[in-house]
Formats: sequence, structure tokens, C-alpha cells
Amino acid sequence: MLRFPAVGRALAGAAHSKGCLTSSSNVRTSVRASSNMVEVFVDGKPVMVEPGTTVLQACEKVGVQIPRFCYHERLSVAGNCRMCLVEIERAPKPVAACAMPVMKGWNILTNSEKTRKAREGVMEFLLANHPLDCPICDQGGECDLQDQSMMFGSDRSRFTEGKRAVEDKNMGPLIKTIMTRCIQCTRCVRFASEIAGVEDLGTTGRGNSMQIGTYVEKMFMSEMSGNVIDVCPVGALTSKPYAFTSRPWETRKTESIDVLDAVGSNIVVSTRGGEVMRILPRLNEEVNEEWISDKTRFAYDGLKRQRLTQPMVKDSSGQLVQTTWEDALTRVAAMLQGVQKSEVAAIAGGMVDAEALVALKDLLNKLDSEALCTEEVFPTAGAGTDLRSNYLMNSRIAGIEECDLLLLIGTNPRYEAPLFNARVRKSWLHNELQVALVGHEVDLSYTYNHLGDSTQVLQEIAAGKHQFCQVLAQSKRPVVVVGSSCLQRADGAAILSAVSTIAQNARVSSGVEEGWKVLNVLHRVASQVAALDLGYKPGVEAIRKNPPKVLFLLGADAGCITRVDLPKDSFIIYQGHHGDVGAPMADVILPGAAYTEKNATYVNTEGRAQQTRVAVTAPGMAREDWKILRAVSELAGVALPYDTLEEVRDRLAEVAPNLVRYDDVEEANYFKQANELSKAVNQSLLADPLVPPQLSVKDFYMTDPISRASQTMAKCVKAVTEGAAAVEEPDIC
Amino acid sequence: MFLSAALRAAVSQAGRQVRSLHQSAARAGGAGLFVHRDTTDNNPETPFEFTPENLKRVEAIINNYPQGHKQAATIPVLDLAQRQHGWLPISAMNKVAEILEIAPMRVYEVATFYTMFNRQPVGKYHIQVCTTTPCMLCDSDSIMQAIQNKLGIKVGETTPDKLFTLAEVECLGACVNAPMVQINDNYYEDLKPSDIEQILDELKAGRVPPPGPRNGRFSCEPAGGLTSLTEPPPGPGVGVRADL
Amino acid sequence: MASSVARGAAKAVKPIFSRDVDEAKRRVRELYRAWYREVPNTVAMFQLDISVRQGRDKVREMFNKNKHITDPRVIDMLVIKGKMELQETINIWKQKTHVMRYFHETETPRPTDFLSKFYIGHDP
Repeated sequence: MLRFPAVGRALAGAAHSKGCLTSSSNVRTSVRASSNMVEVFVDGKPVMVEPGTTVLQACEKVGVQIPRFCYHERLSVAGNCRMCLVEIERAPKPVAACAMPVMKGWNILTNSEKTRKAREGVMEFLLANHPLDCPICDQGGECDLQDQSMMFGSDRSRFTEGKRAVEDKNMGPLIKTIMTRCIQCTRCVRFASEIAGVEDLGTTGRGNSMQIGTYVEKMFMSEMSGNVIDVCPVGALTSKPYAFTSRPWETRKTESIDVLDAVGSNIVVSTRGGEVMRILPRLNEEVNEEWISDKTRFAYDGLKRQRLTQPMVKDSSGQLVQTTWEDALTRVAAMLQGVQKSEVAAIAGGMVDAEALVALKDLLNKLDSEALCTEEVFPTAGAGTDLRSNYLMNSRIAGIEECDLLLLIGTNPRYEAPLFNARVRKSWLHNELQVALVGHEVDLSYTYNHLGDSTQVLQEIAAGKHQFCQVLAQSKRPVVVVGSSCLQRADGAAILSAVSTIAQNARVSSGVEEGWKVLNVLHRVASQVAALDLGYKPGVEAIRKNPPKVLFLLGADAGCITRVDLPKDSFIIYQGHHGDVGAPMADVILPGAAYTEKNATYVNTEGRAQQTRVAVTAPGMAREDWKILRAVSELAGVALPYDTLEEVRDRLAEVAPNLVRYDDVEEANYFKQANELSKAVNQSLLADPLVPPQLSVKDFYMTDPISRASQTMAKCVKAVTEGAAAVEEPDIC
Repeated sequence: MFLSAALRAAVSQAGRQVRSLHQSAARAGGAGLFVHRDTTDNNPETPFEFTPENLKRVEAIINNYPQGHKQAATIPVLDLAQRQHGWLPISAMNKVAEILEIAPMRVYEVATFYTMFNRQPVGKYHIQVCTTTPCMLCDSDSIMQAIQNKLGIKVGETTPDKLFTLAEVECLGACVNAPMVQINDNYYEDLKPSDIEQILDELKAGRVPPPGPRNGRFSCEPAGGLTSLTEPPPGPGVGVRADL
Repeated sequence: MASSVARGAAKAVKPIFSRDVDEAKRRVRELYRAWYREVPNTVAMFQLDISVRQGRDKVREMFNKNKHITDPRVIDMLVIKGKMELQETINIWKQKTHVMRYFHETETPRPTDFLSKFYIGHDP
């Protein structure tokens, strides 16, 4: 197996050389001069390619697909399945297209007799040890081996001997293994060691008895482990929660967005009969490439549990009882009408869409209240949220691939934003990215320079007294990322101010071009950027200081405000989709829709607006969130001026036009001004170390109402703490 | 398979054991399964620590390779661990991974690939009997039978006194001296059943018999005496044109 | 005014069956009688959950719905359609649900305002 990048990394580390090595495979290869191009022919058709292009890539450029199993464009080349054999004119034997660089003037014959014969032979050998259990295999219908044997295989078998059998492995509650089906393409091994950075998988043994596994009884402990299911070309690695539930041709696919973290991974929701069957990643080079985290992929069973399906009101004995929409809404409207303007406030949670946010804001504004908060805190001192550049990931996720020095502050991106971390790892592996961390020492799946976990380090770097400042000064394209979790602290503003100064100093010292962004904020929840764009106040401090009579919780489940913080007779309305933390303390519950059940806009940490689509209808009496707010407004006598989704989005466009420019990132600027404003912050740093809340993988799985309701995620936590064998599985798995 | 069975029956009277086509050396001896199962004497807590002199050797081995390529030392360091401990418990592999700063899985991959790494306990003397075609034709089966009778163990087993482990292996590259047996690092060649019995007796008595052929040959010269190169080599200029 | 235009038009064009309104009315009465006699049969044959009285009331109602029409050509056309309906009913070319469609005008119309749509959960 080729692991040039790792070797290059090790060399660089040993020689303490910075950027002097040309990386073996640049993630973003620059377009070279056309004079360097090599002309090759694919089935007689001429094509110009860069030198070093493989035969397979050259064929792809012409639009000819070469069959393959082990080759994957995001993984290193292994060349061990031999399925991509093609004939080169005047070459003595077929070559493996995935591993062979083209030479000038080659004529690649992709459909010659020899090529077809070679494919047929390889296919026959692959099928010799592959069980014929397609009818009971979960990969059936989306199996590369199945498809390619139909396309390129022989129509009969000469195989009469016994087949090899391999013991199944227990890789934890997410991945089901049927290792007899494995064709040893080693895609999963390469994924684990290259993308996930967890070298748990490997090939043991040799020859006919070679097998893929962990050798020791061990769970595949990665936050991105589910991707090996997609990567596996056969049914050896399949999804345990999805096992035997549906076939790919039965499901309806809806393209949507994930909201369980602030990355906004692009997903496909597979549904059958009004039920979410599984979630798969969707290609988006700018955001998640083609991977998703395990929480994104497997927390969907939380959408079927703990749901609020009926409006509820608290009766005289303090019990929540089911009621009708008319009753619940009338009570809410009566409460809203009966209070003064300063006595009503609202808190928005972490998974609220922009439509609901703007509807809630309009509703409260019509009631003359401005008390709209988010649960997630963001410092408001200095420039605060007034300048958009202050709270965005300005460099963008893909921008990490262009930087050469990354300073992480008070964050654990591996569990707060796994796809962002995967991007950092990719850049660390291929582009010689240097990473430094201020904060609690955690395993990030790549090596980094740990500068300490006290806030004093920040101060020293900001003042230019720390030795790391020299490294920063030498860097050509530095990026500073501060985790939103450390901004939750009481000294958040001081931290942000220090980070802003570090970023500004780095910008000046590195002398990068004007367009390069240094300061970045990595958020943890999906709604935060949209809420700040719409003018919500971050943090519930204002509500705690000035307790309202009527409190509207819009999906607020972090438990920032409890009954204790409010006057005795206050009235709490909870609107959301899960009976989690917020619902039990409410007087009225209005059941809303989860992210798979509504057309909604979410803005990720980069400021990229993306929309989810309706995959299934909301359960029971639950309604889309903005509609509930619109109905409340009408009953309260302050009807909001929109009846349809288009009208809501027109309103969104009025307030913040970037929210409806989907898949586009609105650039933010004024870093210098933000830094100057932040210098005015009169707050001192606390002595407490910077410790992000998610330290190890067990903190990763259950962070929000959906994943807290998910049984699969609960099993993961159990398997991580007690070992994979502790999780009981039904016999069929 | 049928062909080879017929051959064996024809050549040797002792060819009674049945071998399946796919059984390789890996199945016998100290190799075993390609997955690890914790046992009382082989688990991550099995004590293993390099001795100080071996640590020095490890250092020297690592220095054989360029900086940043510690991983290249995997095979020699594993071998060193096996020589020290007799076989490779999982703890030894973990230790090697720790020393070389690589993932344990990468060490497991190497250790399971090479059949000479014994991942299960072996006796003090690891007897590897070659039974590949040339040795088989020279009646390696009788050697095998002799060992089995003498020690009372079958292929893949260890004597109760933990002295001998018997393994059947593929060609060890000494075909000219067939049949042959490798005991630890020594090759015993040109064996007859009586020879191997004598060797085993010596080993039991705590002595190591001298390795090499047992039929009087010095090395791998022809058994029936030299057929060529029998006279001393001619001096320079022989066979060259007289006028040169 | 409208009727005078219609009469003018009727004079100019060829009649269908009836030369004047009286003749047209006679045909209507014939059709009505035929329907009136058929209703008990229909109720029995289709096993309708209505009484004969209800059926006849419905027939009367359907005829009354068009009583304002005075143009003999229009009346003739309606009579033709009525006969077709009758034939389909007699021959049981229809099914129960088709007959019962005459009784369906009590269905509630779909709401159009936001709040009503919200309550019934119907997407707009």
C-alpha cells in the first residue's frame, strides 16, 4: 500500500523543515502550463493530460469509465484488485489503469478483446471466494461487485471448489461485518488510516487466508467510521442500524442538509412510507466532500423517538395533557396579548431554521419586544455580532487546504465539527499544514504543537511575547480558529479580543493578500449563524437579568433557563420537536417539525445558506415551525404578513439577503475595524484552563435533542465506554 | 490435490496423513489464526520488556534506516523480540509498535504476514520439517513420522515439557540436501529417521548437535562425489590462442 | 332580453327535436316519469342506502335545478343527457358510487385561509 504522504510527513517532522518539501500529491493541483501536457489516446480519441496522470484518470477525462474496486479518488492508490486492467497498444501485457501513469502517445484500449478478457478473468477470481448471497445482502442493488459482474463478468462459472469463509468481526454498534463477502480491496483500511486517522483496521495474514480486520477485539473508534460503509464496494461492511430494513430501490431519496453540527453536511435522506430509513452523504466539495460524521449518519432513529406529536397544555394539577391546536394556540395568544411589551421574551435553540427565526422575531417585534436570544453565547462586547466577520468561519472549510499554519483555540474540532477536522487532517497530510493548539490537549488524529491550555498563553501570543509568534510571523497563510465553546465562558469577550488581536497581528506579519481571512469562529450548533444574521442577541443573560412573564422557547433544549430563573407565575411556551429539556418545564407545548420534515434554511459556520427539503411529513399534529408562529400571530391579533414559504423567504431576503442565496457564501470583512473595537473590551481573562466540553469520543455522540433520543447513539456511548461486546444486538445482526 | 496425493502414495509408504490443498505453513506451528484471542499466556498484559542489551540492539537497528523511517525496522525488531521471548505475544507486538512509534495494527499486519513470526507459544526447540516436493520425494514423510513417534506429538503441537514444537513447512531452500529439518536456526540435512532421533536425543540432553548434512557431505556438493571440476583449476591462459 | 336573443337564435337555427317549448316540456315530463318509475329499481339494484322517497326528491331537485331554461334546444340537449344517464343507470353501467355522487354536495370545501389550513394540517 502506498503511504507516501505519511512518509513525507514523518520526514518533514524529523528534519524540522517547513514547507521545503514538495508534497507528493497536492490536494489542489495547480493547472500547469499547457506545453507540459501529454497527449494520449483513449480508444483512438486524443486527449491532453498533465504528466503523471494515471491511465484511469485519462480515460475518465474522455468519459470512459474503467471498472474498479480498490481505486477511490480520495484515497491513496493500492492497485490490488486488478479490475481496472486495460490494454495499451503495443504493450506486452495489460496494465492496472489506476496505478499506471500515462506516457506520451499511448493508445489505451478500453474495450479490446484483451481488456475484456482480463476483466472477465479478474471477475472470475473475485467471485471464486465471494458468497452468492446477494438476495440476503444489504448491499444488494447498490453493490459495485454486482453491477460490475453484470457489466464485465462472464455469464457462467467454472468454479467447483469450496469457498473461503472468514469470521465476522465486531466493530461496534454501527458497522455490521460479513467478512466472507470481503474482496480485500483495502478501501476501508486506507480510509481509516488516511481520512479518519485511526489506524485500527488492517490486513492480517497472507494469501488466501488474508483478511481485513482489527486483529484484536476492538471497536473501530472513529467519529467518521460510518463512511467505510459507503466506501466498501461489496456487502462486507454494512450499516448495523439499517440492516435488513429496506432496499435501495424501495426508498425515496431527498437531498437535504444535516443540522446536528454547524458544518451543514450535505446529505441524502432515504425514506420509505413516511419513515426515514437511512441518511447518506451527498457530494459537496466545499463542505463535506463525500463524508459525513457518524452522528449525522446514524442519529436518525432519534427522529422517531421522544417526539412531540400533539399540542399539550398544563392542567390545574400541573400535568401536561394533550389538546387541540385551537386550544393551545388560543391560550398562547391570550398570554401574548395580556402582557406588556417588556414582559415577553424568546430563546432560540440550536436546531432552529432561519424561517422560524425570522417569524419569531417578527412576532415579538410586533408585540413590541426585542428580547430575542439564542442559547449559544457569543460575546457582544467590542464589535460583537455587529460585524459579520466576527462570528463566521471566514476562511471557509475548503480554505483550510490553502493555509500553511492553523492555530486552534479552545476547541476540539474532531468532535465539534468532524468534517472540518477531516479537512484539517487532509491538509496536514498532503499540504504540510502545521497545526498548533491552545486549549486542553486532545487527540485530533494528527500531530500538533500544543502551546498550553491556559488563557495566559493567549495573552502572550497576542502581546507577541510567546515564542510561537515567530512561527506565526513566518507563516505565509495563517488561519486562526476559535471554538465557540470557549466563548461561552464568562471571559468570552476577552478571549475573542485576544484572538482577534492574534489574527490581526498574524495578518500583518505574514503579509498575505487582502482577500485572505485569518480570524475564524467554529460554531457548534446549526442555527447560530442564521440567528446572529437575523439580529438575535446571543446568550440568555438579558433574560436572566430581566425575567419575562411570558417566555417562548423555540427548540431551546440546552437548559440555559430553568423555572428557577423566572418569576413564579411566568408562562413558558415550548415549541420544538423533541420532548427533551425544554418541553417538561413548559405550560404549553407546540409540536414542531424536525429537519427532515420541513423545507427550511440553515446557515453553517461559514455563513453558507443551504436548505433542507421535506423528506417525510411531521408526525401526528406537528407542524412546520414558521407556520405555528404565523398561526399564533394571527390569533394574537398581530398577523404576520406571510402565508407561504416563498413569502417567508421574501421576508428573509429583506432582513438578511444572504440567507436566501443558497449554496453561496457571503464574504464578510472589516477585520481591522473589528479588532480595533475589540481592543475596547474591558474584561480580564480568567485563570481557568480552556477545556472544550467534548474531549473524547464518548462526548461526541449525544449532544442535541435528536441524538439524545437516538438508541443507536446510546449504544455507541455504551460501546465506547464498556467495549463493543457490551452492546447486545439482535441475532440477525 | 489428487495428483499430489497419488504421487505421495506411490513414493512413500508413510503418506497417510491427509493434507488439504490450501493448508500452508501458516496453519501449523506457532502461527495460528489471523485474529487475536486473549488467552491466559497471550494477552495485552503478558509481561514483555526488551532487555537492556536488546534495547541497544533495537537502537542500532533503527539507526540502520534513514531518519523518519522507523517503520522500516518493524521486521528486525519483531525478530529480536521473538528471539528474546521465544515467540511473539500480543504485548510484544504492542511494545514494538510503541518503540517504533507506529500504530499497533501496522505491526500486527507484518507479524501475521510472515510465517516465521510465531504468534503462539512454541517449545524451546521449534522443529520445522520441510515436506515440499524434493524433500517429499526423498521421503520427508519418514522423518516426520520418526519425530512424531519419538516425541508423541502431531504437527502443530508442543510436547508437555515445552521443549519441542513440531511444524510442517514449505520449502526452506535446501532441496539439494533433502530431506531436511530446521530446528531453531540450524539446518539438519540429508536425514534418515535414525539421524533425527539422535538429534532429538541430543537436544533432550541439553546439547545442540552440529548442524549440516548427516551423510558425510561437507555441504551441498554432489552426493555421489564430484562429477566435474575434479582436477585442480588450470592456470591463466588455458584455452587461449597460442599467438596471443 | 337574454331570452329574446335566444328565441331569435332558435328561430334562425334548426331545432333538435322540439319545434317549440311545449313540445320540449312534454319530453321533459316523459323523462321525469321514466326516472320516477326507475328510482325504486335503482335503489334496489344498486343497494343504495337511501329511501325511494329520497331518490325521488333528488330527481325532482335535479329537474328543478334547470327549470329556468326556456330555450327548447337547450332543453332538448338536457333531456338527451338525462336519457343517457337513465340508460346507464337502468343497465347498471354505472356503479354505486356514481349514483351516489348526486348526493355529495354536502362535502366541506377545502379551506383557503391560513389558519384553517393550519388547523386541518393541509399543506397549501
